[in-house]
Amino acid sequence: MISGYLDGLGMVLQLSTLLAIAGGTLLGIVMGALPGLTSAMAIALLLPVTFGMPPVAGIGMLLGALCGAGASGSIPAVLLNIPGTPSSVATTFDGFPMAQKGEAGRALGLAIVASFFGGVASMVILSLLAPPIAEFALRFGPAEYFSLSIFGLVIIASVAGKSLLKGLIAGMIGFLISTVGTDPITGVGRFTFNELSLLTGVNLLPALIGLFAVSQVLKDTFEYDPNERLKESGHRIDIARPRFLETLKHWKAVVMGIISGSIVGPIPGAGGSIASLVAYDQTRRFSKTPEKFGTGHAPGIVSVESANNSLLGGALIPTLALGIPGEAATAVLLGGLMIQGITPGPMLFADQSGTVYGIFLAYLLANVFMLLIMCLGIKLFIRVLMVPRKQLLAAILVFCFIGVYGVDGDVFNLYLMLGFGVLGYFLNRYNFGTAPVILGLILGPIAESNLRRGLQSFEGDWTPFFTRPISVAFLIVAIGLLALTLWQNYRSNQQSTPAGDDSV
Amino acid sequence: MTQRDIGKPLFNVVLIIVSASVFVAASAFPNVNIPGDLSAAFFPQLLSALIFIFAIPCLIKDFQEWRTGDVTASSSSISLARAAGQWLFVILLLIAYVYAFERLGYMISTALFIFFCVVGLAVLSGTWGTLSIAGKSKALAGALVFAVVLAVAIFYVFTDLFKIPLPT
Repeated sequence: MISGYLDGLGMVLQLSTLLAIAGGTLLGIVMGALPGLTSAMAIALLLPVTFGMPPVAGIGMLLGALCGAGASGSIPAVLLNIPGTPSSVATTFDGFPMAQKGEAGRALGLAIVASFFGGVASMVILSLLAPPIAEFALRFGPAEYFSLSIFGLVIIASVAGKSLLKGLIAGMIGFLISTVGTDPITGVGRFTFNELSLLTGVNLLPALIGLFAVSQVLKDTFEYDPNERLKESGHRIDIARPRFLETLKHWKAVVMGIISGSIVGPIPGAGGSIASLVAYDQTRRFSKTPEKFGTGHAPGIVSVESANNSLLGGALIPTLALGIPGEAATAVLLGGLMIQGITPGPMLFADQSGTVYGIFLAYLLANVFMLLIMCLGIKLFIRVLMVPRKQLLAAILVFCFIGVYGVDGDVFNLYLMLGFGVLGYFLNRYNFGTAPVILGLILGPIAESNLRRGLQSFEGDWTPFFTRPISVAFLIVAIGLLALTLWQNYRSNQQSTPAGDDSV
Repeated sequence: MTQRDIGKPLFNVVLIIVSASVFVAASAFPNVNIPGDLSAAFFPQLLSALIFIFAIPCLIKDFQEWRTGDVTASSSSISLARAAGQWLFVILLLIAYVYAFERLGYMISTALFIFFCVVGLAVLSGTWGTLSIAGKSKALAGALVFAVVLAVAIFYVFTDLFKIPLPT
């Protein structure tokens, strides 16, 4: 482990890597501060620029974007009562009332430091838990990998959309798209339409950018209303400086946030909003002054923000150790890892431990940069909220185009990106979700190749897939989760049956 | 009551048609016999069949929801026709951008795309009509400057900083 950290340190402590992490964090902060733009979109936009970088620098940049977006969602939450990201919803409960009292700077100062503490703690938890999980996963053979892929697809489909059936359909659409190209075993061309660019399958980059960036821009275009411009906050933010001592004074709230984020983080699909709401609820429950929550109470902000950033470290555990991401942002990050030539999973820890520990350290540094950049540039990021929407949409689209084209100069990939953008727009509009599509694209080939390799080695016998203990355990948990989701949907349908409830 | 959106059931119809087509197309894949292995068509056919089967209850539910939905309810402050116009305009502009990208080169096609995107959204969203002649001239000049500056800035960021070549 120590040699791994030393190797990783050597990779991280290079000027280009440090600049990449800082740049990613800066972009993540800007994107997180803009309501409606997601951290998944920030990562998707950054993917093309990480191509020429060494793996740790590239992934560090993407982690910086995730970290920055997680923290800066608090800016519009505090100043405008609009959460920049879903996980900042609970920040509005006490952040905005504190700003209304004329203490917006204090609220932001607390949020920044709590995010930093949460991020650092989650890095420690990640580095402690991910390696043993990966070591355990070294026992996996084709049967286990097949079951794990199915498990990953089922869990994200169960929780990503508003409807179980629609989530499953989205996952299968991704899986189906992953079959495009030359069949790896028989060499048969599948749905290639004599297009050279499709012979090796659908390129992941246009899919990621289309599904997470172009689809979001199309949604914003559909909803674009020039009369709905954000009004500039009149709150004082001149005292927006990090508040270490005050945050530490509320250490119980910080710890509650870290525990909530770290527990919820690895649970696929649970997401930041659940972690922060759990943290807020638990902190209030154990508080001696629960009546102060919701009135601009510091522990309310501290617990929520520490939960938001500690969630990410937790979510990275299954992503790195098993190759199974829990939600959209880590799904895009997984795609980024694969584009970088890194295949997440147990072999990554066995073969490239230096890279893994480098990623851990890059995540730690991303938190440090987040703290510095947020403290130094807070007033600037508030101005970001006022950027005219149509100029922003045009700029994002150009970035998407150049990013996809610049990688291999193939115009076909631009059409592909556009196609995925339109598909993603409709999938989101009609509650299917786009995260399961990416998971299907990534896990589909793993599931197919392992099932077929397994069947060949078992001479066509399917029973080992259902008798090997780890394999059957994954399948049972996946079926159990499906049953649980169906039961929950049935119960919520029984309690209230409003039209438009999509839970099937 | 929710907004009536015929697109919701229609999207399921599209899924059903596409999945059926995929199933049929996959059945034409050549069958290479490898002992113990599945055919190349196995997964495409399995997945398209499952999508077909799962989309049917979604279609029924979404269609019922559409029938009982509120015609007057709207989730947006802008009219559907205007929203759809803005959406379609950007899609068409993107297709034109891809087409022009290698023919006109990065700089001209990108500057044109940004300019038309900004001005087009202003026109379609209705803000253009509220401007005076001087205001329109100012907005056009602003959009032009923004388009050129952004195109040049992105060009240098990608070619110099990230070493990604772009067609000129």
